Amino acid sequence: MTDTMTIAEFNDAGFDAFLASRHEPEWMLAERRQAWSQFSDMQWPGRRDEEWMRTDIRLFKLQQYHLVLDPPDAMPSEITPLLDSDITLGGHIHTVDGNCVSSTIADHLTQQGVVFGSLDDLTAEHADRFQTMLLKSAYNSQADRFAALHSSCWSGGQFLFVPRGVHVTEPLHVLSALTDGAADLGHTLVVLEDGASATLLAETASEQEDGGGLHCGGVELVVGDGASLRYVNLQNWGSKVWHFAQQKAVLGRDANLQWTSAAIGSRLAKVNQHVILAGEGANTQVNGVLFTQGSQHLSYHTLQHHQAAHCHSDFLYKSALQDKSHTVWRGMIRVDKGAQRTDGYQRNDNLLLSHHARADSIPGLEILADDVRCTHGSTSGMVDEELIYYAMCRGFTRKEASRLIVTGFFQQIFDRITIDSVRDALALAIARRVRDYE
Amino acid sequence: MSTEFQHAIAVNELADPGTMMIEIDERLVVLVHVEGEFFCIDDVCTHDNGPLSEGELQGCQLICPRHGAKFDVRTGQAMTFPAILATTAHEVKVDDGNVYVKINDE
Repeated sequence: MTDTMTIAEFNDAGFDAFLASRHEPEWMLAERRQAWSQFSDMQWPGRRDEEWMRTDIRLFKLQQYHLVLDPPDAMPSEITPLLDSDITLGGHIHTVDGNCVSSTIADHLTQQGVVFGSLDDLTAEHADRFQTMLLKSAYNSQADRFAALHSSCWSGGQFLFVPRGVHVTEPLHVLSALTDGAADLGHTLVVLEDGASATLLAETASEQEDGGGLHCGGVELVVGDGASLRYVNLQNWGSKVWHFAQQKAVLGRDANLQWTSAAIGSRLAKVNQHVILAGEGANTQVNGVLFTQGSQHLSYHTLQHHQAAHCHSDFLYKSALQDKSHTVWRGMIRVDKGAQRTDGYQRNDNLLLSHHARADSIPGLEILADDVRCTHGSTSGMVDEELIYYAMCRGFTRKEASRLIVTGFFQQIFDRITIDSVRDALALAIARRVRDYE
Repeated sequence: MSTEFQHAIAVNELADPGTMMIEIDERLVVLVHVEGEFFCIDDVCTHDNGPLSEGELQGCQLICPRHGAKFDVRTGQAMTFPAILATTAHEVKVDDGNVYVKINDE
C-alpha cells in the first residue's frame, strides 16, 4: 500500500493508508487505532448470539469491499434522491462511498449559529465538540465487531448542530451513495441544544440497482431539554449491499423526537435502533416501514429505554414481504426503577405477500418500575383473498388490487408522517415494488 | 444465478456417514454422504433458521441443533416438530469421483 493508492482494503496496510489519507488531530487518530485494535481482536457475531440467531452473515466477506480514498467530484448521475422533491431545503450534504462531494447550508442558518456539514470538513473547526461527543454521546464502539470497524474507519458523515432556542424550519437533506464494491462507513452526529428544533431527511442509494457494497454506519442523535427533532432515514441501497448500523438517540427533559425509519433496499440489514428517554417528560414516536422482496433479509432490533419518569414512547413498525424475503423485528421496552408513570407502546404488523416469505416478530418488556403503562402487540398474516377478489370485481387488475391493499396496510404509518414529500416518496417507492400477490 | 451442476467436492473428501457445509452460488448448503449416496439440502432449519450443518445425522435424517427438528436429507421434508415446512433440497450427481450440485432456485 502506497500513498498513491486510491482504495484501501480492510487489513493493517489498508488501515495505515486510510489513516495517512486523513488530516485529523492526534487524539482522533489514537481513537481510531484503538478501535482498529479492538476490531482486530474481535470475532464476527455468531449464530449463538441471541441478536444474530435469525440473521445469517456467514456469506459476508469483508475482504470483498474497500474504502475509497480518492472520491469522485460529484454524485453519479444515475442517482436521484427521493425525499427532497418539492420542498425548500435549508441545506444538503451528498456523499459518495463515504466521502463528501457536495455540502450547502443557507446563510441565515449559519448566521444563527447552525452548523451542518461533513464531519470530515468540520473536524478542525469543531475539534473540542467532537472530542467529547463523537462516538461517545450515543454510540457503543465495543458493541460488536461491526461497531469497532465503524469507530476505526468512519469517514464522510454528517454533523448537525443547532444552538439553544434556534428553530430550523426548512428540512436539511443528506444523500449517501455507494458505488459497486465500495464501503460506506458514514457517521451521523446530530446535536440539538435546549429548546432547538430541526428536521433532517437522510437517504441512501446505490449507483446500480443491483449493486453490491458495504454500509457499516452509526447514528447519534442528541436532543436537548425541550428540543424537537424530526429525523427521517430511508435505506434504499442496491440489492446486494450489506447494511449494518447502530442508531441511537438520547432525549433530554421534555424533548421530542419523531423518527421515521424506512428500509426497502440491501441484501441483508441488521440495525439496532435505540431511543433513550433520559429526561423527565421526554416523548418519542418511531415509525418503521419495511418492504422486502427477492431473498432480502432485514433485521431490526429496537429499544425504547425509559430512564426517567413521565416519558412517552410509541413505536410502530410495519413490514410487507414478498417472494422469499425475511424480516426480523425484535423490540424491547425497558423501564428503569425510577421511571414511574411511563407510557410505552410498541407494535409490529407484518403483511405476507407470498407463501415463502417469513416474518419473525419478537416484542418484549423489561419493567422495573411499578406505576407504568406498557403495552405491545404483533400481527402477522397474509392478504385476505376475498379483498383481492372484491377489488377485482370492481375493475382492478390483480396487481392493482395488491398495491391497493399494501398501500392501505401502510396508511396508518403514512398518516403519522408529517412531511408530505416523505410520505409521498415512501408510498411511491413501495407501490412500484409490489407485484401480483401470489 | 446458475442452475447448472457445479462441482462441490471430491467423493473422498466426505466420509460415509458424514455432512459438510459448502457454499455454492452464494448459498450455504449441507452436503450429506449416507449409505453410499450423496444428498444436498439448504443449511437452514425452517423453524427458526438454525444451521443444520451443525446438527447430528441419524440415518437419513439431519437434526437441527437448536430445537431438534428433523429433516429428511433425501427430500428436505420436515419429519418432526417444531419444523413443519420442508427445507430446499438440491439435485446431486456423482461423476468420475466428484460430487456436483445443481441449486434448486425455485
